[in-house]
Amino acid sequence: MSLARRILLALAAPVLAFVVAGAVASLVLLISGDDVGGFWSVMFSMPRHRNIVSILNTTAVLYLSGVAAAIGFRMNLFNIGVEGQYRLAAFAAGAFAGAAWLPGWLNTIAAIVVAMVVGALWAAVAGLLRVTRGVSEVISTIMLNAIAGSLVTYLLAKVALTTGNSRNTRPIPEGSRVGTVKLFSDSPTEVYGLSLVAIVVGVGFWVLLNRTRFGFDLRASGASESAAVASGVDVRKMVVAAMLLSGAVAGLVGLPSMFSDSYSYGSAFQTGLGFTGIAVALLGRNNPVGIAFGALIFAFLSEQATLLNILAGVSPDIVDVTQGVIVLAVVVAYEIVRRYRVRLEQAQVAGELAGQRRTPLLTEERN
Amino acid sequence: MTTSTTARTAEAIELTGIGKRFPGVVANHDVDITIHTGTIHALVGENGAGKSTLMKILYGVQRPDDGTIRVDGQDVSLSTPADAIARGIGMVFQHFMLADNLTVLENITLGAEKLHGIGDDARTEILAISRRYGFGLDPDELVESLGVGERQRVEILKVLYRGARIIILDEPTAVLVPQEVDALFANLRELKDQGHTLIFISHKLDEVLAVADDITVMRRGTTVASVKPGDVTARQLAELMVGSELPSPSTEESTVTDRVLLEVEGLELRDAAGRPELTDIGFEIHAGEILGIAGVEGNGQAELVETLIGMRQPVAGTVRLGERDISGWSTRERRAAGIGYIPEDRQRHGLLLDAPLWENRILGHQTRPPAVKAGGWLDVGGARTDSERIVGQYDVRTPGIDTTARALSGGNQQKFIVGREMSGDPILLMASHPTRGVDVGAQAQIWDHIKQARRQGLAVLLISADLDELIGLSDTIRVLLRGRLVGTFDPQHVTPSELGSAMTGADSGADSGSGDDA
Amino acid sequence: MRRFSKIAAVTLVGALALAGCGSSGGSSNSGVKSASNDVCKTAKGDGPKVGVAYDVGGRGDQSFNDSAYKGLTKAVKELKATCIEAKATTSDNDTTRAERLRTLAEGGFNPVIAIGYLYSPAAAKVAAEMPDTSFAVVDGFSTTLPKTPLKNLNDLSFQANEGSYLVGVAAALKTKVKHVGFVGGVPGPVIGPFEAGFRSGVASVDPSIKVDVQYLTQDDKDAQAAYENPPGGKDAASAMYEGGADIVFHAAGKSGLGVFQAAAAAGDGKWAIGVDSDQYLSAPKDQKPHILTSALKRVDTSVFDEVKTFQDKSLKPGFVSYNLKNDGVGYAKSGGFVDDISAKIDAAADKIKSGEIVVPSDPAKVK
Repeated sequence: MSLARRILLALAAPVLAFVVAGAVASLVLLISGDDVGGFWSVMFSMPRHRNIVSILNTTAVLYLSGVAAAIGFRMNLFNIGVEGQYRLAAFAAGAFAGAAWLPGWLNTIAAIVVAMVVGALWAAVAGLLRVTRGVSEVISTIMLNAIAGSLVTYLLAKVALTTGNSRNTRPIPEGSRVGTVKLFSDSPTEVYGLSLVAIVVGVGFWVLLNRTRFGFDLRASGASESAAVASGVDVRKMVVAAMLLSGAVAGLVGLPSMFSDSYSYGSAFQTGLGFTGIAVALLGRNNPVGIAFGALIFAFLSEQATLLNILAGVSPDIVDVTQGVIVLAVVVAYEIVRRYRVRLEQAQVAGELAGQRRTPLLTEERN
Repeated sequence: MTTSTTARTAEAIELTGIGKRFPGVVANHDVDITIHTGTIHALVGENGAGKSTLMKILYGVQRPDDGTIRVDGQDVSLSTPADAIARGIGMVFQHFMLADNLTVLENITLGAEKLHGIGDDARTEILAISRRYGFGLDPDELVESLGVGERQRVEILKVLYRGARIIILDEPTAVLVPQEVDALFANLRELKDQGHTLIFISHKLDEVLAVADDITVMRRGTTVASVKPGDVTARQLAELMVGSELPSPSTEESTVTDRVLLEVEGLELRDAAGRPELTDIGFEIHAGEILGIAGVEGNGQAELVETLIGMRQPVAGTVRLGERDISGWSTRERRAAGIGYIPEDRQRHGLLLDAPLWENRILGHQTRPPAVKAGGWLDVGGARTDSERIVGQYDVRTPGIDTTARALSGGNQQKFIVGREMSGDPILLMASHPTRGVDVGAQAQIWDHIKQARRQGLAVLLISADLDELIGLSDTIRVLLRGRLVGTFDPQHVTPSELGSAMTGADSGADSGSGDDA
Repeated sequence: MRRFSKIAAVTLVGALALAGCGSSGGSSNSGVKSASNDVCKTAKGDGPKVGVAYDVGGRGDQSFNDSAYKGLTKAVKELKATCIEAKATTSDNDTTRAERLRTLAEGGFNPVIAIGYLYSPAAAKVAAEMPDTSFAVVDGFSTTLPKTPLKNLNDLSFQANEGSYLVGVAAALKTKVKHVGFVGGVPGPVIGPFEAGFRSGVASVDPSIKVDVQYLTQDDKDAQAAYENPPGGKDAASAMYEGGADIVFHAAGKSGLGVFQAAAAAGDGKWAIGVDSDQYLSAPKDQKPHILTSALKRVDTSVFDEVKTFQDKSLKPGFVSYNLKNDGVGYAKSGGFVDDISAKIDAAADKIKSGEIVVPSDPAKVK
C-alpha cells in the first residue's frame, strides 16, 4: 500500500466520524429548538489565547488519562478504574506534598512518585484479583472506583483543612510548587509545568510499545492471548504488570493542576477525567499519537462547551452528546475502514500470487 | 445403481462459464461443470484453486459475475442460501454448525420450524430419514454426547430434512478416522442410490477415487479436467491438481543418532476438574529423529504438545531437554532453549493476524536475536531482514513483509511459521499438523524443510492426522489413545489401516503385539 | 477488532451510566426548558445585567439552583434586570469555572453571581482580573482567598444550622414515638451543619429522642448519588419509617423528593421535612399532607439582595451572612401543620437571635 493511501485510510475513519457527529449534533439542536448557527459559529471560532492555554492543559491530563487506559486496552485489559486510581493518587500526593516532610523540589518529586505508586497499587488490586481469582477487571475496577471515592472522602476528612464549605489537604508549600509556562502575555491562564509530563509519557509509551520486548508482549497479549501464551508470554504476569503501569500513569492525571494551580487536593478537584480518558483512548485507537489527537479534540470540545453555553445559549450537554456520538461513530467507522483495508490487502496478496504464477502457467500450456 | 440409470440422463447441475472476480483477483473464471443426477461428483484441487468460491456460488452465498447456473435443466439465480435450499441444494460445511447443548432434534429443526414443527411430527420425520439412509441417530440425544462421525450425519440429516436432493460436502473426511470414513462412504452411496446427487470436495485423492463417479479437477480458479475414477491413478490426479511432478513424503535413509534430545518420563496431566488428560506418557526423541504421534483428534495430542512447550502444567513427570531437566521451565525459557513450535492452530497460536509479517517474526522469539537485542529492546531492522530471508527461502507468497498475516493464504501463513520456527537453529521441533490445510505444493516444501533439518540433527515431534504424512516422515510412530501412548509402530511396515485400528482402540492386538508403551 | 468493539461497549455503558446520571439530574430537562421557558430570554429591562453561573445539577433541582433562579426572576420583575444563565458540567475544574465567570463578565454582565461554594477559587481569581465587575458566590468562601481583600467580591453565606435547629425543634415536638431521622447527601462541610442543627434542635426539646442519620453517599465527588438520587432518598427514608421513625428531615437536594415519596407511602402519621425552599408548595397533592415544614435557606433572597444592592450602589464587598436575624434562614409554616407549636419554635428562634443558644455546625460537636 502506498504511503498516501495508507494515510488516507487512516484519516478516513475519524473524518467520517466527525461528519456524522456534527450532523447528529445539528439534528439534536434542531429538535430542541436551539441556535444551530450559533453553535457552529462558536465551535469554529478561533479560541482566544486563554482558551488555547486551557485546551492545552486539558489535553495534557486527558492524554495522561487516555494513555493510562490504553496501556490496559492494548492487552485487552479493560481498566475502567483510571478514575479511582487518579483520585486516590492525587489525594495521596496532595496530602504528602502538603505535609512537607521534604524540602522544595525533593518534596515535589517524592509526591509524584507517591502518586504513581498509589495509582499503580490501586490498579494492581484489580490485576491480582483477576490472575488469582479470575475476577473480571471491568467489575473490580468499577467497584474500586466506588471504594476509592469513599475512601478519599474519608481520608480527606481526617487530614483536611476546612475553608468555608470546602475541604482541602494542606496547601503544598511554595517551594514545592511547579511553575507555569506563560505562552501568551495577555492570557490569565498559563500552561501547567507538569502538563509537559504528558509529552514524556507519550514518548515513553511509544518506545515501550514499539521498541521493547515488554511492549511487544503487551501487544501480542492483546492481539491474541493464545498466540502470546504459545510464544512464551506469561499472561498472568503481564496482566499485573500492565495494571501497575496503567495505574502509575493514571496517578499522574491529577497532578498538573494540583501543583500549579490549586496547590491542594480538595472539593474543587476535577473528577470524570478517568472516564473521558477511556473515550479518548478509543478515539485514538490506543495509539500514542492517536490519543494525543483524541485528547486535543475532547479538550477543544469541552472548552467550547463553556463558551457555547453563554455565547450561543446552547446547553453544554449538547457537547457531551457530540462527544458521545464521535466515539460511537469512530468505532463504527474504524470497523468499516478496517474491513475495507483487509479486503484491499487480501486482494493485493491474491493479485501478487496470480502474478507470480502466471509465468509457469504459460510455459506449461505450451507443453 | 440400476435405479439411477434413468435419472442419469438428467443433469442436476450445469455450470457454464462461471466467473467471479474480487477486487484485484480472479477467483473463478470459465468454470464449466456438469453434474449428473444421482451421482457422487468429486471436486478436487489444491487450496486456493477456487473450489470454495465455486461452492459458495452454488449455495447462493456469492453471486457469480459471469456464466449461468442451471439446476435440473432450469436457469436459476441464487442470491441467498435460502434460494439454494428452495432449489433443493444443501451444504454440509467442514466445520460443523451444531449447538452442543441441544438435542439432535433441536439442532435439526432449528431454523426449519415451519417444515414439521418442533414436536412429534419432526421427530417422526427425522427418524424416517435416519432409518432410510441408515444413519442410526436418536433425535433426543444431546449433540455434545455424539462422536464426530455422528455429528456429521446430523449435519447431513439437517440438509435432507430441509428437502435437499443435491448435497455439497466440503471436505467431509478431514475430521474422520479411516473407519468413520468408510461409514460415511456407505451413507453417501445409500443416498446416491436413492436418487440424491452429491458433490464431494476433498484433498484426499484415494478417497475421491474410491467413492466418486465423476471427478472434476480445478486449478487456479478454473476447471482443468473432468475424469472418471477408473481412468486415472491418484498420482495422475494429483499431477492434474498441481500441474507438475508430485513430491511424496517418503523418508530417505535414517539419520537417527543415539544422542537423546528429548526425554519424557511419567508425564501426567489433569484438566480443571481433575480428570486425567494424559497418563504416564514416556518417550525419547534422538537427534535426527522424527517421532510421529498418531491418534484420533481429542485423544491428548494437543495436550501433550502444550505440556511439552510449557503452556500447561503437568501434575507429575519429568521432561529433559538434552542434559537439562526442563520440567519447571516456563514456555519462554523452553523456547529460548531451542524448542521450535509449529502449533496445531496457526491462527490462534502461531500468528498475530493483524500484525505485519515482520512483527510475526518476533513472536515466539522474543528473547533472541535477530528479532530482539540484549536487554529486551526490539531489533526492528533485524526482524525485518530475517523476515525477508524467510519469505525468500520458504517461498512465502506475499507482496512484502509489511503485509498483515491475515491477508496471506493458509499455506503461506504456515510456510512463514515453519520458516520462523526453523530459524535460530532449534534443537527440537514440535510440529502439530504442519501441513494441514496447506496446498500440495507448499506441503512438499514443508516436508523438505523438516527432512533437511532432521539431517542436520534436529529432533522432531510430529503430530498429524494425515497418516500418509506420519508414515512418510516419521522414524518411529507412537499412537496416543485416551491420553495414553498405546503402541509403537515402524513406519516402514505399518499400513494406514493398522494405525487406524490402534487409534480407535478397536484392535488391542496391535497394542499388545508391539506393546512397549513404557 | 472484536476487542475494539468490546472496549467500545464497555465505554458506552460507562458513558451512558455517567450521562444517564447527569441528565437525570434535571440537566437535560432544564437544558431543553431553559431555551424556551426562561426569564432571561424575555427580560428586556434597563436594570442591571446579571450573569448567573449555576452549580452542577442546574435548574430543575428543586432546591439550591432553583431557589437562585427564583431570586433572579424576582430581580428581573422588580428591578428590571436582564440576565444570562450558564450551566456547570460534571467535568468542571477551577479553570473552566473561572472561564465561565470570565466569559460572563466579558459579555458585560455585572454583577456575576456564582451558585455554589465550588466557584470560590475561580471567583477570587477572576475578580482580581476584572475589578470593574462585581462577583458573588452563594455559599462561598472566595473572600478568604485573596491576600488583599477585593472590592468587587462577595460571599453570600447561610447559617443553615440555625434553620435546621428550628425544624429539629418542630420534629421533636411532633414526634409521637420519640424517634426521628435525617437523610443527608454527603457528609462534610456542606451538609454537616444541617445535621448538626437538626440534632441540636431535637435534643433541646428532649435528649432521649432517637435520631437516625443516613447519608446517601460517602463520596464527596459523587454529586449524583448525593443530590440527584430520589430512589436513594426513598430507600433511606423508607428504612427509617419502617424502623419506627415518624419524621424524617432531608438535606439532599433533589434526592429529598424520594424522602417525600417514602413519607407518603408510609401513610398517616409519617412526616417529612423539606429543605432550602418551602417544599410544601412544590410538592404533589398526595405528598402535601406529609410535609411538616421546611428548613428555609433563602438563596433567592440573597440573589435578589445582591442585585438590588448593586443597583442601589450600596453593595459592600466581603462576607454577607444570612441567618435567622435577617430572615436568610428559617422554617416554613405552609400547610399549617406546625401552627400549634409555632410559638415554641419562635421562642427557640429568638434565643438563637439573641445569642443565648449557639447552634453547632459540626455534627461531631453535638453533645
